[in-house]
Amino acid sequence: MQNFEFYSAVTIEDGLACLSERGETCRIIAGGTDLIPLLRSEEVRPVCVLNILNVEALKGVAEEGDCIWIGPATTFTEIMDSGILQRSAPLLVQAASSVGGPQIRNRGTVAGNIATASPAADVLPALMALDATLEVQSLDAGIRRIPLTEAILQPYRTCLRSDELIVGISMPRPSSDTRGGFEKLGRRHALARARMNVSVVLRTDPDGCVADLRIVPGAVMPVARRMTEAESVLLGRRPEPGVVETAAEALAEGILKTTGRRSSSEYKLPVVKNIFKRVLQRLC
Amino acid sequence: MKKRGIGIGCMFYGIGYGFSRQDISAATVEICEDGSVIVRSGEVDYGQGSDTIFCQIVAEELGVRYDQIQLITADTFVTPNAGPTSASRVTYVTGNAMLKAARAVKKTLRSVAEDILGETDLIFSDGMVFSESSREKEISFRSLAKAAHLRGLQIVETAWHDVTTKDVDPETGQGKAYSTYAWASQLAEVEVDTETGKVEVLRLVAAHDVGKAINPSNVEAQIEGGAIMGMGYALEEEIRQEGGHVQNRSLGEYMIPTALDVPLVEAHIVEVPVSDGPYGAKGVGEPALIPTAPAILNAICNALDIHITELPANLENIHRLIREKGE
Repeated sequence: MQNFEFYSAVTIEDGLACLSERGETCRIIAGGTDLIPLLRSEEVRPVCVLNILNVEALKGVAEEGDCIWIGPATTFTEIMDSGILQRSAPLLVQAASSVGGPQIRNRGTVAGNIATASPAADVLPALMALDATLEVQSLDAGIRRIPLTEAILQPYRTCLRSDELIVGISMPRPSSDTRGGFEKLGRRHALARARMNVSVVLRTDPDGCVADLRIVPGAVMPVARRMTEAESVLLGRRPEPGVVETAAEALAEGILKTTGRRSSSEYKLPVVKNIFKRVLQRLC
Repeated sequence: MKKRGIGIGCMFYGIGYGFSRQDISAATVEICEDGSVIVRSGEVDYGQGSDTIFCQIVAEELGVRYDQIQLITADTFVTPNAGPTSASRVTYVTGNAMLKAARAVKKTLRSVAEDILGETDLIFSDGMVFSESSREKEISFRSLAKAAHLRGLQIVETAWHDVTTKDVDPETGQGKAYSTYAWASQLAEVEVDTETGKVEVLRLVAAHDVGKAINPSNVEAQIEGGAIMGMGYALEEEIRQEGGHVQNRSLGEYMIPTALDVPLVEAHIVEVPVSDGPYGAKGVGEPALIPTAPAILNAICNALDIHITELPANLENIHRLIREKGE
């Protein structure tokens, strides 16, 4: 293991002061499930590592008016155990429970999943489907809010500045008639990177027509995004088999347009369609 | 759609090195003054349980408790050469060396006991040596060891066991290539998700002829472990190379099955003793994983009517075969 200064923040202000001073030479650690392997392999060589796991204000799940607030240092296990999320966003509970194994879920945090910005993240696309917004804070600029769909610039890179800390993740509380579904395909049942995953949030009106829809596949593009191409096919229509098939086509075309044809497309495109249809069938 | 299938894989496997390759193992058994037993062998137990088997064999032969055996293995400073732990040979070859060495020290002990008890029909059992016909004539193993030491006898013996075979006929390839063979059949039941190519092994049934199971639960564990290893080989394990460089160099990327991937494994022990194995035993280490991949591939074939000629039968390969069949 390499040598670095280790700073453990107790308050958000502590952490922001450290980031403001150290800037790009500092890496933030929470659960460490992504950072520790990088430190060991020396793929990153920070001067300073800032621990945020002792900042109580960065933990927990709360309902605030029409929003659900998730502390960035909340672990996947805590997500799974949260009564609020089990009731209001089971999709997120499913996504969190698909991460790694119990030990990783006990350490890994929501903000870590976002900040690492792995193309194969499980919780990140689920949060996008839930329309999550990041609350980001720095000593100089205070708090700014960034929709999660705009936060990831490229694989393993977010739009966060080096003096900024994720201080909260908020999302509109899904209405009682909103349903969410998640499915992950991995090479094995635990400790598997997603070969792909699909998150869908859906609301239908009293006529059974799709009134609101967000589709976010993971691990099929360098950066996860909402598949508006497929969403628009379904919006305002009943999710009947023919329409769903057209939406699945649009989903695959949208992915292909983003990635270009790759050797993996031959497998991933038909299979992501199948998984999408499966998730949607369960919701309708 | 999910489709199910059942497949069978069968195998036979030569135990030891065969084909005239040297296959020799040594073991030393020493009786201490207090009746404890020290066993030395160069054989390494890397988890399969051979240390347990050696202690059992020596304890059985000398009629002492298993926990009276002190085992020293795989230390070139003090242990005699036993050859490698490979070719599923350890119980069969080193087990025999153990048996021979134990019998050699027992011979010396027996002569002392005959002298003390005045009987020749002696039985070594439960830490005692006694006459079969006159049960009251007995001496504890411990006292016997002490007596042998007081007489200044040699009660440490090293034995060698050699199973090197003749080579087969160079012209015809015929002959007895190995000194013994293991036999097994396994059955796999799978469920294939045709939409993703994901194969779920629901059940593995594995029947193995091990000659004699010296430690049945150990044999079952070897069968289970081997079958699971064979399942990983069939479905996901793969070393990816580019220009001679291995691309997946960690267990995060080389996909062995986790506990959650393991199906029910039913192990069936078949015992047809071999005349030249210790108590009739032969090997099971490698045989446990040999029929698994064929059984699983046959089960996939049964489910989908596709023939797999390339491993691993992973998501991509299975889905490609499904697509090709559909086209």
